[in-house]
Amino acid sequence: MLILKANLTVNNKVKLTTKDSKVFEGIVLPDTNSKKVVLKLDSGYNIGILISNIKEVKILSKPKKNITKKKTTAKINKKLPTISILHTGGTIASEVDYETGAVIAKFTPEELLSKFPELKTVCNINSSLIGNMFSEDMRFSHYNKLLTAIQKEIKKGADGIIITHGTDTLAYTSAALAFALEGLNTPILLVGAQRSSDRGSSDAFLNLLGACQYLSNSNFSEVGICMHESSDDKSCLILSPTKTKKFHSSRRDAFQSVNAEPIARVFSDGKYENISKLHSTESKLTVKPFKENIKVGILKAHPNMFAKEITNYSTGFNGLIIEGTGLGHLPVNETDKETKENSKILRAIKSLSKSIPVFMTTQTTFGRVNMNVYSSGRKLKEIEISGDYNDMLTETAFIKMSWVLSNYPKSKVNELMNQNLRGEISKRSSKKEFL
Amino acid sequence: MQLDYKKLGFKSGLEIHQQLETHKLFCNCPSIVHDKNPDIKFERKLRTSAGESGKIDQAAKYESKKQKTFLYEACSTSSCLVEYDEEPPTQVNQEALEIVLQAALLLNATPVDEVRVMRKTVIDGSNVSGFQRTMLIATDGYIETSKGKVTVDSICLEEESARKIETKPNYTKFRLDRLGVPLIEVATDASIKDPEHCQEVASILGMILRSTNKVKRGIGTIRQDVNVSIKGHPRVEIKGFQDLKSIPKIIEFEVKREIKESKNKVDSHVRKANSNLTTSYLRPMPGAARMYPETDVQPILLTKQFIKQIKIPELITEKAIKLEKKYKLSPTLAQELVNNELFIILTKQFKKLQPTFIAKTILEMPKEISKRFNLPKENLKPYHFESVLEALNENKINESAVLQILADAANNKKIDFKKYKKVDSSQIELEIKKLVESNKNVSPNGLMGLIMKNYRGKVDGKKAMELINKYHK
Repeated sequence: MLILKANLTVNNKVKLTTKDSKVFEGIVLPDTNSKKVVLKLDSGYNIGILISNIKEVKILSKPKKNITKKKTTAKINKKLPTISILHTGGTIASEVDYETGAVIAKFTPEELLSKFPELKTVCNINSSLIGNMFSEDMRFSHYNKLLTAIQKEIKKGADGIIITHGTDTLAYTSAALAFALEGLNTPILLVGAQRSSDRGSSDAFLNLLGACQYLSNSNFSEVGICMHESSDDKSCLILSPTKTKKFHSSRRDAFQSVNAEPIARVFSDGKYENISKLHSTESKLTVKPFKENIKVGILKAHPNMFAKEITNYSTGFNGLIIEGTGLGHLPVNETDKETKENSKILRAIKSLSKSIPVFMTTQTTFGRVNMNVYSSGRKLKEIEISGDYNDMLTETAFIKMSWVLSNYPKSKVNELMNQNLRGEISKRSSKKEFL
Repeated sequence: MQLDYKKLGFKSGLEIHQQLETHKLFCNCPSIVHDKNPDIKFERKLRTSAGESGKIDQAAKYESKKQKTFLYEACSTSSCLVEYDEEPPTQVNQEALEIVLQAALLLNATPVDEVRVMRKTVIDGSNVSGFQRTMLIATDGYIETSKGKVTVDSICLEEESARKIETKPNYTKFRLDRLGVPLIEVATDASIKDPEHCQEVASILGMILRSTNKVKRGIGTIRQDVNVSIKGHPRVEIKGFQDLKSIPKIIEFEVKREIKESKNKVDSHVRKANSNLTTSYLRPMPGAARMYPETDVQPILLTKQFIKQIKIPELITEKAIKLEKKYKLSPTLAQELVNNELFIILTKQFKKLQPTFIAKTILEMPKEISKRFNLPKENLKPYHFESVLEALNENKINESAVLQILADAANNKKIDFKKYKKVDSSQIELEIKKLVESNKNVSPNGLMGLIMKNYRGKVDGKKAMELINKYHK
């Protein structure tokens, strides 16, 4: 058995005979474990064979070692702008390495250009690998790493920066960068893909091409997001870093503006149209990173709530975002004997808001908080829950409060949370800004 | 020119693709192959991507060079986000898996221990994702033929592609109703001996697949691809046979074409069967590099226990032999009556009638009605057959009236048994006697015509002729 297993080394080409005398020839793949061997047959099909069913293994050939690949260097075209691509992970540039079974990022400029050859005609590419992680695993320390890398690229003279990112928390990162990079004068676009780039139909190609084209051709100089506008491979939207949400778990047009219009539309041929006014700053870039130990919670209001859900935040947390119902409500009214818990909730939130900043958003996603219309809202406003009249996304409010707590005294939090800093709060609600 | 296939080093293998009668393979959409009124439209491009080995498949490269736009139209009744490549697949349709395992066991093949779903790169637009999902279910089976055993190399379960609607220089349009319908693919080794043998193998494989009673029927639900090679020439795959009967001639013409073609100048490639039985170039032969793992679907372990509970269906041929014996039917009728529930019900109901007559009534008469009277046989419903056979069973009508009555039914006329009421034989005899006497110069056939004018369906023709001959001297 031991010898049998030793012969089943990954990448060996083997001839396998099962106990019922069936013969399979193929290459041993990395999914092989102590129970089964996974073979790639000559036909291209993979199959799993139980080790307990195997009678004999013969090695037909072993893999050739140290295959040196031809190195090509990407030529620099001085007439074209230079764009730096920083990879953090996600499906956009990852590939399965069939030698080791691990998901790896193919990310040298050469590898990128061989994958996306049309980029050559748009810009020169620099690239570096910052990380290779699922975006839901990110922490504030990763934001800070990214900030350092961005500063480095700006110093090197990049005309624009693309950050490739997993889509799950891409809109959190875009908000984090927008707040942390004060006085930014170099355009940065976050780009993701909803369908992996190892398939012919991936949205990665158009998203990346669209981002390169917009960075190369427009006067944009802020942080933005570039993703598919619809199910068609026709255009991408450039979206606000603080007013965008991932609305669908799998569709390629998952990213949509909330309480705002998109910044611009880029067509597959490189033409673009700006939709909302661009902001440009003349000031100097100041980087205001995140404190990695800041703890901000998010609490969603719901029927049959308990005070314990709120008191959970009373120790160890620096701030709380409440995603209220409707105009910004929590169940705080005792109207009959069944609603006694609601009085406890009111007491709990009152006591919490005395020790940490508590900010209200709405779980309707679209629309504005207004804590003056119903008694629930008025009660919350009375006990200094802030956020009245704001139309910020919960995700953005979470990032913003963490960032404010990282860079300003606690006494400034309420004031800054209610002030528009990076387009995260709009003054007017336009009829166009809904689904 | 008579060809000696053995001398030519003729090698041929067959691949059969048959649609299964169950919902789609990786979502819960119904398998409506021809859906109407598309309400969803979108536009995509496809790119090549390298396989596991890092190589780009040559067939994929060939398509990619065309840089086409693909227009898709879909019906929300028969497709969902999975077909639009906007949602990951669900797990494999369990019923489809079990149908394929039934077929595999009928083909004497061994299921693999663990099924791994693969992506086969297809970038001609017929698969929205840029690949077709496929999985190897069983290997190493065989069938018995008149020219010996033929090995069945592999049995796969895969997704059907989208239906091409329109081709223009800058775009191709597809409809997504068919996309994702489960297909079984059965591939033989290259031991088919000659073109006629190929047709026989195709027909046996088709019969075995139909024996599961869970495959779609009708035009386009089964497709045959034939691999052909002769010594010194590369292998060629021919796709798109219209029917089994065309297989031998198309292969013969292909072999003759290859003999004329200069040796070793062409690579293996895929050809299309034309309606005039010749073939034409379609694309390069795809290779193993086009396959890479479908990472969105978990592998499926086929335990011994699971395989044991798969019911092996009875072959159509075996069922036919049983029917043939039980009801004393001709082999052809018996074949056609396999799984025909109406026949079983009617034979039980009308014990006085010959099963052969019942079989002919439900199988052959509808065909005759459409051929002879040009009437829509689809109008004939089970209750039409039932009521007409009931009248016959109760001796109210003659056998010869059955066709007429069914023709009326197919013509949407009310069935009127009175019109065809059996006439008393002594009355007929009297009538015939009178008729013969008053038409002494008319031939028996002419007399028959006169009789039938008045009594069609009411008297038995044979009997009438006997009587004519009796009085006509």
